[in-house]
Amino acid sequence: MENCFEIENLNLYYGEKQALKNLNLSIRKNCVTALIGPSGCGKSTFLRCLNRMNDLIEGCRIEGKIMIQGVDIYDPKTNVVDLRTKVGMVFQRPNPFPMSIFENVAYGPRCQGIKDRRILKEIVENSLKQAALYEEVHDRLHESAMGLSGGQQQRLCIARAIAMEPEVILMDEPTSALDPIATSKIEELIEELKKSYSIIIVTHSMQQASRVSDDTAFFLLGEIVEMDTTRMIFNQPKDKRTEDYITGRFG
Amino acid sequence: METSLRHQRNAEKLKRKMRIDKAFKYLFFLAALLSGSCILLIVLFILIKGIQPFLPGYRYGQMDLLQFLFGTMWRQDQAVYGVGYIVINTLISAFGALLLSFPISVLTALFIAKIAPRKLSAMLSTVVELLASIPSVVYGVFAAGMIVKLVKWLASLWGISTAGGSSLLAVILLLAIMIFPTITSMAVTAIQAVDHELELGSLALGATKTQTNFKVVLKSAKSGIFAGAILGLGRAFGEATAVSMVAGNKLFGPTFDLFDITRTLTSTMLAGLKETTGLDYDIRFSVGIVLMAVILVSNLILNAVKEKVGNHG
Repeated sequence: MENCFEIENLNLYYGEKQALKNLNLSIRKNCVTALIGPSGCGKSTFLRCLNRMNDLIEGCRIEGKIMIQGVDIYDPKTNVVDLRTKVGMVFQRPNPFPMSIFENVAYGPRCQGIKDRRILKEIVENSLKQAALYEEVHDRLHESAMGLSGGQQQRLCIARAIAMEPEVILMDEPTSALDPIATSKIEELIEELKKSYSIIIVTHSMQQASRVSDDTAFFLLGEIVEMDTTRMIFNQPKDKRTEDYITGRFG
Repeated sequence: METSLRHQRNAEKLKRKMRIDKAFKYLFFLAALLSGSCILLIVLFILIKGIQPFLPGYRYGQMDLLQFLFGTMWRQDQAVYGVGYIVINTLISAFGALLLSFPISVLTALFIAKIAPRKLSAMLSTVVELLASIPSVVYGVFAAGMIVKLVKWLASLWGISTAGGSSLLAVILLLAIMIFPTITSMAVTAIQAVDHELELGSLALGATKTQTNFKVVLKSAKSGIFAGAILGLGRAFGEATAVSMVAGNKLFGPTFDLFDITRTLTSTMLAGLKETTGLDYDIRFSVGIVLMAVILVSNLILNAVKEKVGNHG
């Protein structure tokens, strides 16, 4: 199977402090990869390397290679704005823009210079349908997105990311601010989305990782302790620390 | 143990504590009442004084209210007092200043809050604060010495002669400078209060920094920026000292020509206040009522507009 990301010898420093230590891994295409580990283990930091969101943090330094479609995203020739159209992101807290539902989804395409109302409308409708939100909002597309529930807002953020037709969607604990019903809707959606996109999800919930992901990487103190198929990680972990973590002995 | 907290608690102490709590409640209420009644007193006083000239039996001869409100001439030597054109002049100069100052202020605020490196940003913030703290009479002498010369020179380029540079344009330029720090500092606060996650969300969608700043940051901050504009407009309406120094106090109007002299409500109230008595003195209070009404109505309209444009935020 093809890989969407190849990561070689990745090191990341915040000033003097090393936050990621020599990571080497491949992430499979059209799969859901879960990143698990205790707080502060570097899983979110790693996720933010993949669309270079860490560039925005002062004193953050990165060594190593992250290859997508044969190109290193940290190569000086790589355009970060272009990269982020290929690698979408959904955040921990739903962060819809204070605009209408329609404008939220149309925002990305508009930033790419698409102005034709008809094309935008088509993109918005398709994206909302793919994000399983269209049925709920089709009659109020031009109302403010702030009036949606938390779960709907998060699905809107997913629709917003889908509208860019990215290769990969990064999700940083996308359900941690949501109730169980909204969470299960997002999990169903992830299952559906992996047919068209590669998904990398950071999660604190072992159950979520085991439910939605194909592969799982276990992070501890900035290192990857173990990465394998989710079934292997949860049934026959090779490392004692992985076993301790997934059985809830620490974390 | 005598020192333990449990033994320290007793009914007497609790009673005292509650008494102090109650006393402070009244103290706060009193403070609020005092400041509130000041406003009420001022408004009442101006209203009562200003309404006098239009009442029958006014000792310097009753004035006609409609002629006062819609008149287009103000000549104390002929006892003709028409404030209509002055209201229009005031609106033109205040909104003109806002139009000029607003875009510059917002772009400066964006630069301070989002774009400038930390040191430069701190420096610029201080400069804006300093501008806000310059007394208006100092702005006035600056305008009378500098802006007026600039206007005179500008006018001469078109072959227009001015009253030494005193003009509507000079008033607008002066007010634009004076309200710049007000709008800028409000806009900086509003921009800084925008949720950082919104910016990250925009950048993660492949928007550039500039796109993010204009489409997301400014849009999210628009309610606060608008509040700054309203505050700035209030200052433009209310500024008297500096405006009087460059307005020229035209006797009739309204003035639409940028290089012509003008007359605002505030300059009318201020000019010669200490050298006059009788009707000419009392009528200034009536102008005060008109000024308050103009400010009130403008604020109401702008607030309605603000509600309308800010309904997504």
